[in-house]
Amino acid sequence: MRWRGGAGWALALLPLAFLALAFFWPLADVLRLGLQVDGRWTGDRLSALLADPYVRRLLLFTLDQALLSAAVSLGLGFPLGWLLTRYRFPGKGLVRAFTLVPFVLPSITVALGFILFFGRAGYLNRFLMGAFGLGEPPIRVLYTLWGIVLAHAFYNAPVVARFVNVAWERLDPTLVEAARVLGTGPVRAFLTVTVPLLLPAVLSALALVFVLCFLSFTIPLALGGARYATAEVGVYLFARVYVDFPRAAALATLMLGISLALTYLYLRGEGLFQARAGGVRGQPTVPLLSCNRPIRSLWIGYLFLAALVFVGPIAAVVADSFLRAAPGAGSPTLYWYRLIFSPAWNPFLESSPAGSVGTSLVVAAGATALALALGVAVSWTLHRVRSRALEALLMAPLAVSSVVLGLALLFAFRRPPLAAFGRGPWAIVLAHALIVYPFVVRVIRPLWEGLDPNLVEAARTLGARRLAAFLTVELPLLRGGVLAAGAFAFALSLGEMTAVAMLAGAGVTTMPLAIYHFLSAREFGAASAMATVLIAVTAAAAWAWDRAGARWLGRDHGGR
Amino acid sequence: MAAVEVRELVKRFGPVVAVDRLSLAIGDREVVALLGPSGCGKTTVLRLIAGLERPDEGQVILAGQDATAWPPEARGVGLVFQNYALFPHLSVAGNVAYGLRFKRGVDRKARVRELLELVGLAGYERRRPHELSEGQKQRVALARALAPAPRVLLLDEPLSALDAALRKELRGELRRILRDLGMTAVYVTHDQGEALALADRVAVMRAGRVEQVSRPEELYRSPRTPFVASFLGRANLWSGRVVAVDGERAAVEVAGERFSAVRGEAAPGDEVYLFFRPEAVAVGEGPYVAEVERVEYLGDRWEVHARFRGLPLILLVPEPRTPPSGSPFPRPSSSRTGRSGEPVLPPASGAGGACRRSQGGAQPAVSH
Repeated sequence: MRWRGGAGWALALLPLAFLALAFFWPLADVLRLGLQVDGRWTGDRLSALLADPYVRRLLLFTLDQALLSAAVSLGLGFPLGWLLTRYRFPGKGLVRAFTLVPFVLPSITVALGFILFFGRAGYLNRFLMGAFGLGEPPIRVLYTLWGIVLAHAFYNAPVVARFVNVAWERLDPTLVEAARVLGTGPVRAFLTVTVPLLLPAVLSALALVFVLCFLSFTIPLALGGARYATAEVGVYLFARVYVDFPRAAALATLMLGISLALTYLYLRGEGLFQARAGGVRGQPTVPLLSCNRPIRSLWIGYLFLAALVFVGPIAAVVADSFLRAAPGAGSPTLYWYRLIFSPAWNPFLESSPAGSVGTSLVVAAGATALALALGVAVSWTLHRVRSRALEALLMAPLAVSSVVLGLALLFAFRRPPLAAFGRGPWAIVLAHALIVYPFVVRVIRPLWEGLDPNLVEAARTLGARRLAAFLTVELPLLRGGVLAAGAFAFALSLGEMTAVAMLAGAGVTTMPLAIYHFLSAREFGAASAMATVLIAVTAAAAWAWDRAGARWLGRDHGGR
Repeated sequence: MAAVEVRELVKRFGPVVAVDRLSLAIGDREVVALLGPSGCGKTTVLRLIAGLERPDEGQVILAGQDATAWPPEARGVGLVFQNYALFPHLSVAGNVAYGLRFKRGVDRKARVRELLELVGLAGYERRRPHELSEGQKQRVALARALAPAPRVLLLDEPLSALDAALRKELRGELRRILRDLGMTAVYVTHDQGEALALADRVAVMRAGRVEQVSRPEELYRSPRTPFVASFLGRANLWSGRVVAVDGERAAVEVAGERFSAVRGEAAPGDEVYLFFRPEAVAVGEGPYVAEVERVEYLGDRWEVHARFRGLPLILLVPEPRTPPSGSPFPRPSSSRTGRSGEPVLPPASGAGGACRRSQGGAQPAVSH
């Protein structure tokens, strides 16, 4: 083991101690409340919970929508992966970049976009009614199971597309050529060679999408309401609406168990599903526009559908933010932007819109700083000590849903020592940092592993102590990665609503929560303006992330 | 007092013993090459001296002090890495000055200039490592390692990434710099030419142990084991038995024939290898006949593979002469001793001997 005792261990203990205080201890509170009655460990609360028909419906619905969402995401995402792998067409780079968007787009803005675009009085229905002279809105997916599924597909189809694209690019094209030479037609070659070889990636993507949708919160909250609530929404309702903490804790305990099991299965499966590394040659591509007619129109039809699902809602948000509602058609206005930057108290928010923007920025900056410090410390520790158990401990927040984390911190900030920080933005900063830092580790750690270890050794033989070597060699070399991770963390924190919904005290509002409040009050213009600002800021952060990452990866960094 | 000494070093990586009870002392201002095939543990020895690895057993002694527990930054050693490990985020000057950051009272600018002049890179201060050729990178790596004035310079295959012509040029330059500075240095290489040309002494390593430490010419002429004999240059090794001993000479019986060889530590009755270099065999009139199997043209000489009573025999014929072909082999001329009638195989002086045949078993015998 490359381990040199002393000061090194102390540095490893730092993130562990922090997580113990800010994560494991609060989580233990949730478990205690969920599994103890009068100081005795018991499953009574859990069995009472499972006997409750409402909770059973919640769980069944959660399972239903997650399975459907995974299936629809596959249906929508697989062709996109196919298109990106096998065809050339103008704007392909844009489409490829677009598959990254859902990773940073705040889910509340997506929910808003779905309401504005697919709603009964949404843009799509208005267009169809006008075009075909209908008296009734033809599309009624909103506030049903399908609305949630479609919104989840918006998020996860690009994930599937990326998985398929990456796996397909790695397939050796000579395998299909061999099949063709052996006498199979293109369709049979696809079905007997390509599909089986892509299957691991597809299953892996499906598993990931299932987990993400199972633990989804914001979209079912905004699009389903209390009727189509998922289990995560249930935890929120019990904790923040009915203020029934024991029930919330019991349901959270159950969800914690499920999410740990799902994460474990996913990580186990990922190894099995790992696609074999393949061809030296890239996949041959075909220009889309020179394909024969039926194929071309099939793809163009698909792209049209995809644009409807992916671009429509976002365009609706941006359009709505510049329109003042009026009977018939709206008129262009900047009224909503003036409103959301106004410092005046707003009854829907119970604070001022400008205040929520400020809180968001402060929280995102604080969470980013904390997540970077924690992420670098954890990367350092995992770089130096190779231990699966330590890795599981240090990355544990990844396997805990934001709602459960929010509940844990809600309890933690009610008693010492964290109560000293009050119920202001501190709890939110901490929650966001805990949600985001695993992603920081995921960005930085591979870069760190890729650094030539001789560089640090060279620094050591030249007289640098370990810490000096880190500060003068590793940190400057990782700077690009740290900046990229910072931009990503900032974007994620800015768009995060779950923990805020769970934690925020009276008068503390962030931008996503403000959007949700405006949405609940049917103040769509204000919601859209704020969502547009949020989309712009997160897109800029994502762009910076992409740029910094690309520049970094393109550079010679001393490894051979 | 040795500048660097390692005593009974043991280093294991899991089940693999990389360094196996290795002891070696390097004198002040001495250049010692660690020579061996890849995987023999030579780089590990270097890393143990630098403090980048901790030995499982044994000691590292620097200038008389036990440094086994010292961290690398406290050892005052300079290390030139095989891949140079230049800091990509620093300029050439920044790389050379890096080690001076941790020293007080040094005029950094002057020192950097001095070193870049030494390695012939004055004027390259502001370049980045990725803008340099491989040879220039190598020079920067050397300048960087020398900048903090280390008491020992360790070089890990510093020329292995270069092409053959550049390697030879830099080899000469490296030798000049080491001599001029009077550096104590340990030089790891798998290239025997580099080891013989650069080092005051060469330690041949095999499987984590030192097989022999000697001056280069002694190593070449009088290898003490068959491994050393065949690792350096071409060697003829015939197994035989010592039948008689007379002062510094021994008579070795091989294939029914008796040869006189340097005795070494052999005693009568020992099973030994009779060793001699191909170039020690003269071709022409003589008492022995060998059968030629194949001939390779090497430009400046012909390499002849033959059999002498069933034993493999390699010998060299300088280029202006035409090599023998077919069989029978022309009767060899008298050996270099000039005494007619003496065997050509093996020659009489300096170029051969006998090595121990079984590791640690019978006493070694015989050399001419």
